Amino acid sequence: MLQKKVCMLGSFSVGKSSLVRRFVESMFDEQYHTTIGVKVDKKVVNANDEDLTLVLWDIYGEDVFQKMRMSYLRGMHGYLLVVDGTRRQTLDDALRLNDRVVSEIGKVPAVLALNKFDLTDQWEIEPDRETQLAAAGWTLERTSAKTGDAVEKAFLHLAQAIMAK
Amino acid sequence: MAEQAQRRAFEAQAQEKPTHNNHAYEELRHLIVAPEQEGIATIQERLDNLEKRTADVSVVVAEAIQMRREKGDDLALAAALAPTIQETLRESVRRDPHVLADALFPVMGPAIRKSIAETLRGMLESFNEALEHSLSWRGIKWRIEGFRTGKPFAEIVLMHSLLYRVEQVFLIHRETGLVLNHVVAPSAPAQDAAMVAGLLSAIQQFARDSFQPGQTENLGNMTFDELQIRVVSGPNAVIAAAIRGHAPEAYNLAMNETLEEIQRHYSSALAHFTGDPGPFRAAEPQIARLLETQYREKPPETRRPRAAMIAGAIAAVLLLGWAGYSTYLLIEWSRFLSELRKQPGIVVVSYTKDGRTFHIQGFRDPLSEDPKKLISQAGLDPDSADLQLAPYYSLDDAIVARRATALLHPPAGVTLSAKNGELIPEGSAPQNWIAQLEEKAPWIAGVSRVDESHLQNSSLRQLNALRGTLESVVLLFPLGRAELDSGQETNLAQSEKNIRALIAQAVPLRQVVTVELVGHTDITGVEAANLTLSRERADQIRAALLHNSVNSAILLPRGVGTSQPLHDESSEEGRRLNRSVTFKVTLSPLPAAGTASSASGAAPAN
Ligand SMILES: Nc1nc2c(ncn2[C@@H]2O[C@H](COP(=O)(O)OP(=O)(O)OP(=O)(O)O)[C@@H](O)[C@H]2O)c(=O)[nH]1
Ligand SMILES: [Mg+2]
Repeated sequence: MLQKKVCMLGSFSVGKSSLVRRFVESMFDEQYHTTIGVKVDKKVVNANDEDLTLVLWDIYGEDVFQKMRMSYLRGMHGYLLVVDGTRRQTLDDALRLNDRVVSEIGKVPAVLALNKFDLTDQWEIEPDRETQLAAAGWTLERTSAKTGDAVEKAFLHLAQAIMAK
Repeated sequence: MAEQAQRRAFEAQAQEKPTHNNHAYEELRHLIVAPEQEGIATIQERLDNLEKRTADVSVVVAEAIQMRREKGDDLALAAALAPTIQETLRESVRRDPHVLADALFPVMGPAIRKSIAETLRGMLESFNEALEHSLSWRGIKWRIEGFRTGKPFAEIVLMHSLLYRVEQVFLIHRETGLVLNHVVAPSAPAQDAAMVAGLLSAIQQFARDSFQPGQTENLGNMTFDELQIRVVSGPNAVIAAAIRGHAPEAYNLAMNETLEEIQRHYSSALAHFTGDPGPFRAAEPQIARLLETQYREKPPETRRPRAAMIAGAIAAVLLLGWAGYSTYLLIEWSRFLSELRKQPGIVVVSYTKDGRTFHIQGFRDPLSEDPKKLISQAGLDPDSADLQLAPYYSLDDAIVARRATALLHPPAGVTLSAKNGELIPEGSAPQNWIAQLEEKAPWIAGVSRVDESHLQNSSLRQLNALRGTLESVVLLFPLGRAELDSGQETNLAQSEKNIRALIAQAVPLRQVVTVELVGHTDITGVEAANLTLSRERADQIRAALLHNSVNSAILLPRGVGTSQPLHDESSEEGRRLNRSVTFKVTLSPLPAAGTASSASGAAPAN
């Protein structure tokens, strides 16, 4: 079966691990266990009428203490750029990180996940901003690892983009 | 500072010679010599002043050492510096051991670990050798261990002699960390290859970044408890092997060779890999070759056979054989004895073995199986048995049945069995045998009752059959006449024979036979005349039978005229049948024993 390496990128605590857990195990945990190093998971999906294994590299999120190691991204076929919709800062950080990725790794398919969409009252991302991003070519998904909303869809869009390449 | 010194030197000179007449000369001299003098004074000053000299050397000391080393003469320098450095270190430790400890900490850990690993490896190897040289002793120990723990010997040997086992081999695409192929040793636990491969390459990346930045060399070994992961990397592919135990360094060579082979063979597939492991399926035999299991050594049996060992082996085989055969005999004899105990009519009270002879004491019914024959049938030597079996009457059902059979001689078709003292004959027997059975059975040892419910009396059956035959006979007469029809003679003769047989067979059954001769007529004529005619006909038959000396007492002639017609007379045939004599047999038991003999005596003597 075809295998594709997919990385989870984004600032710390935006919900990268939670999205993987929801996607792979259909589970969610309110508690925050920061990822140390990399956790590798996998899931078989069907995209464009073909089964493929997504090998998911859930990488620790950048914070003030540690930068992302670009070497983990080598050879990846696509990535999910995750943003915490309740912290606007994480979107700016994500886009900056994205620039670094593109310049070092090159352009590969990506999906932007605006996560924690269940927390609507704390939502900090204006609809205008989303329109801009879409115009800039981003595939956007408002996800919630907690409720499971659009999680499957985000990964599926990514898989389809990878297969279309 | 230098300027100050210069000025001071100049002033000192001026004060020493304050003459005015040679002022011009002084002027000149000053003009010519002063700069040099000042220079010399400065140098003098620098040489004399320790502080200044130190300052000067400090500027060049590092360069000087460097230059010295570049000249390739650093051995001398090292020799010169060594005592000082040693002293320095000693002093440093004396003053504050923490400073040096902290400084050395990063290098000490790995150094110690490495040294321990080396020591352990060495110990393992010498331990192996020691084991090799104490082969037989070890073998015995393992056997004892096997006996003690109840584990099969083979398992103990395997446990002790398994050196290492390569449980899984992964072929991984280096750049993406995706698994290209994966093989698992039979019965080894397998993990999800995709995830393991990913994690392994993440660890590799981490190690590369953290410990060896810039270097392409890879982390070769990772150890988790007794599981070791060996990794060899090529430009595009990585082979990782999960090994239980301690594989030799040579194993890495095999891994590298395989990797090179794969790199060569799949170079373009590796370079253009986009996640499809399909093309690498063919590499399975190559990586499967890396799944190896190595034992510490070959099993003991295959070691060099020496003469002494052969002799020893033969002796052992003989000894074992003898012990085995004796044990076999003992087992066979005890099996035979338990069989013998089950035999009806044989009681084993005790048995002893002395040398090769088995003494068996007990009782035996003469009708039981011959014990000697049983010994031979069991495959044992009857001559090695000493049977002391006293005769007795067994009340065992099987023997009782056998005894009854021997005494009663049942006719063919009759079998005898016994159950709890009851004799059960089955089948069909003539009356006289049944009489004999009833008379003799109670006298047979072990028989207290006879159950005759499964026994048929064949004599009685025959008697009834004869009676039926006789009663169906119709002796015919012509119309209005009392003489038998012509052609009825054979019929009469047969009936007479049957009457005789009937009488004969009734005797053992203790029955008295009477035969009524019933005369009939058709309805032609008046009834009074018919009655007479019917009686005449019956008398006629009686006379014929008496003539042939059938006992007169049992023949009772009777005329019934037309009162008991055999047929309706609507046809001539019906009427013909009614002109006849028929038989009616009556059986009545002999009244008493006293008269029985006279009744028997009444039986015809042929
Ligand atoms: N309400 C809500 N909480 C979420 C959601 N996704 C994640 N969280 C919570 O956010 C916290 C961080 O989630 P993680 O998945 O560990 O975040 P991460 O990006 O993996 O963090 P690092 O591994 O430290 O980089 C946890 O407490 C989660 O329960 C979501 O969709 N909704
Ligand atoms: Mg995480």
